[in-house]
Amino acid sequence: MTRKQLLLGLLNQAPLALFAVVFAIFGSLSNKFLDPQNFINILTQSSSLAVAAIGMTVVLLTAGVDLSVGSVMFVAVAVTGKLIAGGQPLWLSMLAGCMVGVVAGGVNALVITRLRVIAFIATLAMLFVGRGFGLWLTNTRAMNMPDEVTQFGAARWLGIPIPVVVMLVLAILVHWALRNTAWGRQLYAIGQDVDGAKKAGVRVAPIIFSAYVLCGGCAAVSGLIALTQTGAVSPSFGQQKEFAAIAAAVLGGTSLFGGRGHILPGTLFGAILFQTVENGLVIVNADPYLYPLILSGIIFLSVLLDTTRQRVVGRAARRTIRAV
Amino acid sequence: MNSTLLEMTGIRKSFYGVDVLKDVELRMQAGQTLGLVGENGAGKSTLMNIIGGNLRADAGQMQLAGELYVPHTPRDAQRAGVAFIHQELNLFANLSIAENIFLTSFPRTKLRNIDYNDMHQRADALLEQVGLRLSPRLLVENLSAGERQLVEIAKALRLAPRLMILDEPTTSLTSRETAKLFELLVSLQSNGMGLLYISHALGDVKRLCDEVLVLRDGAVVGQGPMCDFEPNQLVSMMVGRESSDQFPPRHNHPSKVKQLDVQHVTQPGVVRDISFVLNGGEVLGISGLMGSGRTELARILFGLDPMKSGHITMCGEPIERLPTAGRIARGMAMLTESRREDGLCMQASIAENMSLVAEPKYARPPWGLLRKAALTSALHAMRNAVKLSASTEWHRPVQTLSGGNQQKVVLAKWLLNQPKVLILDEPTRGIDVGAKFEIYALIDRLASDGQSILIISSEIEELLGICDRILVMSQGEIKDELARNEFDQSRIMLAALQADHVAASLRDADQ
Amino acid sequence: MRWPPEPGVRRSSKQASEFAMLDRVLQSGWLTIALSIAYACIMSVLAPGFASIENGTNVVVAMLPLMVVATGQTIVLISGGIDLSVTSVIALTSIAGAAVVTNDAGWLAGNSVATPVAVLAMLIVGAAVGFFNGGCVAWLRMPPFIVTLTTMIFASGLAVWLTQSKSISHLPTSFMLLGKQLWASGLVAIAVAVGVQTMLSRTRLGSSIRAIGNNPLTALASGVRVAPATVFAYVLSGICAAVAALLITGQLETGSPVQWENNLLDIVGATVIGGTSLYGGRGHVLWTLSGVLLLTLIDNSLNLLNLSHFTIMMAKGGVILLAALLDAWRHRRGNR
Repeated sequence: MTRKQLLLGLLNQAPLALFAVVFAIFGSLSNKFLDPQNFINILTQSSSLAVAAIGMTVVLLTAGVDLSVGSVMFVAVAVTGKLIAGGQPLWLSMLAGCMVGVVAGGVNALVITRLRVIAFIATLAMLFVGRGFGLWLTNTRAMNMPDEVTQFGAARWLGIPIPVVVMLVLAILVHWALRNTAWGRQLYAIGQDVDGAKKAGVRVAPIIFSAYVLCGGCAAVSGLIALTQTGAVSPSFGQQKEFAAIAAAVLGGTSLFGGRGHILPGTLFGAILFQTVENGLVIVNADPYLYPLILSGIIFLSVLLDTTRQRVVGRAARRTIRAV
Repeated sequence: MNSTLLEMTGIRKSFYGVDVLKDVELRMQAGQTLGLVGENGAGKSTLMNIIGGNLRADAGQMQLAGELYVPHTPRDAQRAGVAFIHQELNLFANLSIAENIFLTSFPRTKLRNIDYNDMHQRADALLEQVGLRLSPRLLVENLSAGERQLVEIAKALRLAPRLMILDEPTTSLTSRETAKLFELLVSLQSNGMGLLYISHALGDVKRLCDEVLVLRDGAVVGQGPMCDFEPNQLVSMMVGRESSDQFPPRHNHPSKVKQLDVQHVTQPGVVRDISFVLNGGEVLGISGLMGSGRTELARILFGLDPMKSGHITMCGEPIERLPTAGRIARGMAMLTESRREDGLCMQASIAENMSLVAEPKYARPPWGLLRKAALTSALHAMRNAVKLSASTEWHRPVQTLSGGNQQKVVLAKWLLNQPKVLILDEPTRGIDVGAKFEIYALIDRLASDGQSILIISSEIEELLGICDRILVMSQGEIKDELARNEFDQSRIMLAALQADHVAASLRDADQ
Repeated sequence: MRWPPEPGVRRSSKQASEFAMLDRVLQSGWLTIALSIAYACIMSVLAPGFASIENGTNVVVAMLPLMVVATGQTIVLISGGIDLSVTSVIALTSIAGAAVVTNDAGWLAGNSVATPVAVLAMLIVGAAVGFFNGGCVAWLRMPPFIVTLTTMIFASGLAVWLTQSKSISHLPTSFMLLGKQLWASGLVAIAVAVGVQTMLSRTRLGSSIRAIGNNPLTALASGVRVAPATVFAYVLSGICAAVAALLITGQLETGSPVQWENNLLDIVGATVIGGTSLYGGRGHVLWTLSGVLLLTLIDNSLNLLNLSHFTIMMAKGGVILLAALLDAWRHRRGNR
């Protein structure tokens, strides 16, 4: 029993160890990496991914998954960009972008809860449909945003960059809701055992619905943050961000099998770890074509950790007949 | 205090044409504990599920405290003041005790968030009521089985029920936890709550209940004050059925060839030091209550579950290191406890299911192409051998078949492989009488052909009717062994039941 | 597909109500073929130039590679898994083969064995990726969709990195023969389809894969070697993707690291439209053929009607969604 607990402890600490390894490697390759200013950069760069990962965490907690995050990001910024280019005020355009995310999440949720299609298939379809819709909106061309957009992204509030503020506010809010509301606690129960939750009288469908809507909304906000940082909408905007979001959540201790995970510090930590790798790769001037290889390696590792943890937990939970 | 709390009259229920409850009458008072006893499959759970709103009776009436009581859902039952504590607990390991108790009715503050202070206070009060001195903030995954049981009761008490149904609440508890639970139940009872207590542990029933009701084959065979019944008398009422012509005559003569030799098989927490020999042409029964380790033993023998130490030898060859596929190739077969879970591919056809095991024998090297013609004729022959009804088509998914026909498909699947040792776990569960008889006849014929059969069953008469020898298991150990001339229902039942007390006293000594 | 032959007993015609009729139509594996034919009839009236030999050839050309890769997907879906890495396998094998034979400083440029070596290399790369996927699913018990997603990113990343995102052209004609010549690609597609269906319906391996998809616990308890059979399903899917890459590379005359990047949904979609179940255990290569046919017809006819790329995508997405709904409905019915 104790050996199993030790193994579990090790598996739970593995992301921290990974973090240390990443730091050691990049730190030894470049001293610019360990510069304090770089930490602030990493934090700012993480904010977009972190926001998407917050939404992903909520969906993963229900034992579902949302593969459409990257496409939803793209559609949201495409709509926002179109509106800004059409002369609409910044705040209105951004609000519209957020609404797009919420609607997309709602469509996912409808297909999953009402039509009962498996989550990964439903959201995989949304991945392609969303991307196609966005390409149609933008005529498959890049759009450059006026300066006010990037200025908004660089603005500070109490000395903290706005994207970081948004990330922290969202993280605290969702963390609080998961911890302190009936919705949050029932969400954990559903992720642990859907049938048990139904039997206990939890209204399962509305809660799962809300998880996907929240995830869509977070994806849109995440896209908008990235927009204010890059200042352009390219046809590949947001591509594969859903995998980064899954990786951040799972690295932060959220289980793909549902019912386990936290926003603070978990998912936030995972997002920062993920971004640190990307930042380090830039600083050491790695071949940009190498990024997907390394990042998919990290995703694989985090999923492998989660699967192993799940198996250890499952073995420990096996029922016994007589005292050991 | 002496008002009638629950009254049931003429309750009937049948599943797939099999009568499970036949005109059951039940009456209990407020502040009373009624023990409900009977063998596995006597209809206890069905009766309780009807009271708890999980099932609806085909006929009959229920009255709760003088009012007509017709629960459509478990929720209706809860609202009417009936709490049902299932044998399988429904707790979420990733949530705290208090959250589990209040999962569907969290106390809230004005901000609509959970009022943790209020919730923990109320949970504290409920935990105190059930005598559990734990923080309500503790996650359920850190609790022992007994503590979880008490949390489940605290959860039920939240709604201040009038009637509480407990289904085998002590199976996973230590004797100290059991004592604690009983204290609690007595205090609940003295506050006027009615308790319906289902258990196999007759000692517990004797200790706790004022009155007892005995069910057999879906009918009430006795009800009265507890003091009127001796445990031995209860046992004979539970099992006392004339086994007339339910069973075909046995014509076998076991040889002295050791087909299966099991020595000191042990898996911590599951079974301990199991040793027995199965001879050629022998039908060996394993009796025991649910959770006695009989199914687990069968799965270990078949290589589906791990084994820490011991030796298994089949026809002189050690097989304990082989995977399931290897054991099957050497002539072992096992009909599993649940057809749905790991017995059949429910959506696949009869033909597909039947050919699954024996296919390697019909594969032609080098590509493994199947000799379809040979396989087809073997399937037809086997189909006749197990008397699968002729009207069923080959291509029907097996889930559309009756339980009896499904079981025949499983048997056919194994017999096609011509096994030497056949393990049958509950081969007649959920099957009508006619199909049962045919399966018994088949078992007899197989044994006459020299195959060895290990049969696990909850129904003692079944084992008495078809076995040459019976082992009784309890707490993961073999407690008794009876040869055919010693067969005695009461002795088997007592061995299976008494063991509980022996083990309990052993555990006490440990503590 | 009916096996073994029925001994003189026909389906009883009791309670042949309209609902039972509708039920049977929706449950049928032939539904999609009927729909395809009906659709083709309607479009030959509506879409100008649809019913011409030239357009028919176009449809077949577009169908063949999709058919091959979807056949591989069918195997994995029957085993209860899913392979999302196939598009990346196509890209990776496409550049692997092209790198061997290209006349622009290929490894074996001009050599007489270049083409066979290139084909072999493609098959080996496809099988290796499949082996990795299958191993993770069978031995490490990782969820198939996330494993194959990761492989998808990795393999396409690898293809892009190896080529620095450049296409490889100047391929010898012998290498492009299979893609260029309709009879050759048709022969390959038919061989793959017949081979795979024979494997599925007439070998021990096929029934093992089907049993695993139906109920892995039953399969294990019935002596099916679950892990090797699962790995094999993914390996076959990888090989099918490699064969498809061979056809595509020939058709387009280039090896590209982004080959077929956006066709993943078509591949899974065609399989599901045919009636192969996402829940495992149910599927047939002929059904997949009909799914590929319907999807290709929709694509082709809407293109002829000059609809935008986006509209076509939405239409195909809608059909795929409908198929997924039908699949979920069948599955729920089955479990009742």
